Amino acid sequence: MKNWPWAILAPAFIFVLIGIFSPWLMTHDPAAQDYAALLEGPGWAHWLGTDYLGRDMFSRIIGGARTSLVAMVFVLVAALAIGVVIGSFAGYVGGKTELVLISVIDIALALPSLVIALALMGVFSGANFDWMSDYWKMIVALTMAWWANYARMSRAVVVAELQQPYIEAARVMGASHIWIFTRHILPHVLGLVVVYASADAGALVLAIATLSFLGLGVAPPTPEWGQMLVDGMSYIEENAALVIIPGLALTAVVVSFNLLGEAFALQKVPRAVRGRLLSRKKAARAAEEVARKVVEA
Amino acid sequence: MLKLDRRSFLATTAGLSFLSVLPRVAFANGHADTLRVAISGETGDLDLLQNVSTLSSYSAVFDALIHYGPGGTLEPGLATAWTVAEDGLSISFDLREGVSFSDGTPFDATAAEWNLKRWMGVADFSWIGIADAYESIVIDAPNKITLKLKRPVPAALLELTIVRPVRFLSPSAAAGQPIGTGPWIVESYSSTETVLVRNDAYWGEKPTFARLELKVVPDELARANALRAGELDVIGGDWVAALSPRRAQALASEGMTIVAEPGTATTILGFSPNSPMMQDKAVRDAIFLGIDRTAVATVLFEGFADPTVDIFPATVPTAGSRTPVPARDIAAAQAALTAGGWAGDASGWTKDGATLEIAFLVSEESFPGSRRIAEMIQGMLMEVGVKTNIETVDNATMHDRRPKFDYDLTFFGTYGAPYDPHGSLGASFVTASDTGPDGKIYVHPDLDVLVATALETGGDAREGAMQAVYDWLRDNTAACPLVVTQRLWAVHPRVAGFTLPATDYDLPFKGITLG
Repeated sequence: MKNWPWAILAPAFIFVLIGIFSPWLMTHDPAAQDYAALLEGPGWAHWLGTDYLGRDMFSRIIGGARTSLVAMVFVLVAALAIGVVIGSFAGYVGGKTELVLISVIDIALALPSLVIALALMGVFSGANFDWMSDYWKMIVALTMAWWANYARMSRAVVVAELQQPYIEAARVMGASHIWIFTRHILPHVLGLVVVYASADAGALVLAIATLSFLGLGVAPPTPEWGQMLVDGMSYIEENAALVIIPGLALTAVVVSFNLLGEAFALQKVPRAVRGRLLSRKKAARAAEEVARKVVEA
Repeated sequence: MLKLDRRSFLATTAGLSFLSVLPRVAFANGHADTLRVAISGETGDLDLLQNVSTLSSYSAVFDALIHYGPGGTLEPGLATAWTVAEDGLSISFDLREGVSFSDGTPFDATAAEWNLKRWMGVADFSWIGIADAYESIVIDAPNKITLKLKRPVPAALLELTIVRPVRFLSPSAAAGQPIGTGPWIVESYSSTETVLVRNDAYWGEKPTFARLELKVVPDELARANALRAGELDVIGGDWVAALSPRRAQALASEGMTIVAEPGTATTILGFSPNSPMMQDKAVRDAIFLGIDRTAVATVLFEGFADPTVDIFPATVPTAGSRTPVPARDIAAAQAALTAGGWAGDASGWTKDGATLEIAFLVSEESFPGSRRIAEMIQGMLMEVGVKTNIETVDNATMHDRRPKFDYDLTFFGTYGAPYDPHGSLGASFVTASDTGPDGKIYVHPDLDVLVATALETGGDAREGAMQAVYDWLRDNTAACPLVVTQRLWAVHPRVAGFTLPATDYDLPFKGITLG
């Protein structure tokens, strides 16, 4: 990990820290309007200036980080849980059940996640879903748009692991399905899927901002970067900072999370897994060698 | 090898500089007699029976019997005089003589009858009172007709000033041919622009320039930049190519002329009559008192809007007496809630176990800029203790939910001149009216009776009957008028004498000269 690009990864960690500690970092109420301080530039009273309703930009950026972080964590956890359960079940059970589930997953993967999320937000805007706030509608829509990737991946890992001799050995010894799945297969599934999810975090932050940009995400007065961007667009000629500041924050976090995922993918394959894989490969080669010698003899 | 001394270099540079100016000179000369006006959508073939374009495009080509003048005065158009019978059941028109459509077809009683029968008595146009009450047309003379009605329509003459489908098309025109008697003749139209040339046979004040180009520029910033670059001469008009107040301020500081005049349409906050929360007058009163209309007009409309608590502005005929705009009063808003049985303070209110929390339905597609106004109102009501949840929805959802009154609060606008006050009253405040996806501002059985009376009352009693409606709406806090947005246009310095027509459904050209 010493070779990791820490400088580039810093925004992701700062984003997480700001998201967690934002209530203590905000200098103003991000929803408080001050008509005497409209569109002010950076200064002591407002470090990053104010927006068109006189709201403090610094506090709104900090608040926006929390909004995005919380939504991102909810979506990732829910999408991971759904994806891992469905994908693993499909891979483990096999047969027609697997065929049906994998078809559903393929259909879900055939469309871009954001398109699915947009369609679902359209469905949720109906009167039947009034009981859900816009924020939760967004989380549910993104979760339903995001789970399929993890399901596909989980199923592939489960199918591969089921071919391993130690699974057969466990079965012969009378281990239950639940024991085999939770003790032997799930750790492999999570090891891979969680790494992939870390790279997905940036895409999710962007998707959250995109939905808000389109007016389908977080409801006012909750600060959100995508919404700040679209609101600032009307004032881009007079005060470009209203667009540049949330735009920069969003760019830094998305790039940073993408690099984090890439770094994980390149270097952070867990050592224990790597060791077991190597010993398995060595054992397989040794067995092949023995078999070859037996044949030659 | 090419040798370049100082003299050659300077001569070449001067030559290239001169050449670079030529296209601009040629461009300017090519448009010296052309007014280039931005429109937000293409005009199409200007079919008067279909909704294919903005109304202002039609009005450049097609004329009306009566024109809508400043303040709702009625001015002669294709009719030079008219007489309404005492019982209101017939209207006689003296048609202007010597007028022809641009294809040479004479405009006479036969042409007028052919046009009027295209929409009068037709179910699709029953939203126009005079079309719904139509009985027959009688040709009294080659240039005189009488329109007979089944019942009196006090707003009949105002209705004859509207654009679509009322204006006159040449009976000889083939399908898709926009041929009228108006000041302009369509030379060509495409998805990017419509070119019109002056109708030299026009009976009225002729344009001083020969061509009018309507350029399709859907994006407001692109329109502003085109004006700056001299590629457009005029942008603006709510129904032509809307210009935002902030953009107007920016253009004013860059030397463009901004023309702002009092508007004719009111932006109104509507209370759902079906919402249990909004049925409580105390809640409606608290919202009415808790909003700072002057701040809305100043902060979001840059002063290009006038705060109001009246349903119609004074620019509309029979708009009723003026009510002074009250200052925002948080204490009075909270007192109204307390008097209504609510308990609480700025942190929130409850009554019979229910928390005061209202859903504010907003669609940027339906009403651009509405989310910012909603956010501002949300902040103001928060200080009263009224929790407001803004629901941002798309146009389709808004069109689905608004007719069902499936909201607590949402934005509405009155139609503006020449449709008001009869148009908005008859559509937006009557239970039985069919307004389709637009929904209604407020309905109530008592209001139905008052509106029906007002719309059927003519003559001197009309004003009093209208005032009774306005009084009922105000006394019951049935709606919450906010501002009247001003009519806003930006004009390039090469355009002189720019004056606005009486409504934004007409294209400006009178008095304009091009530099």
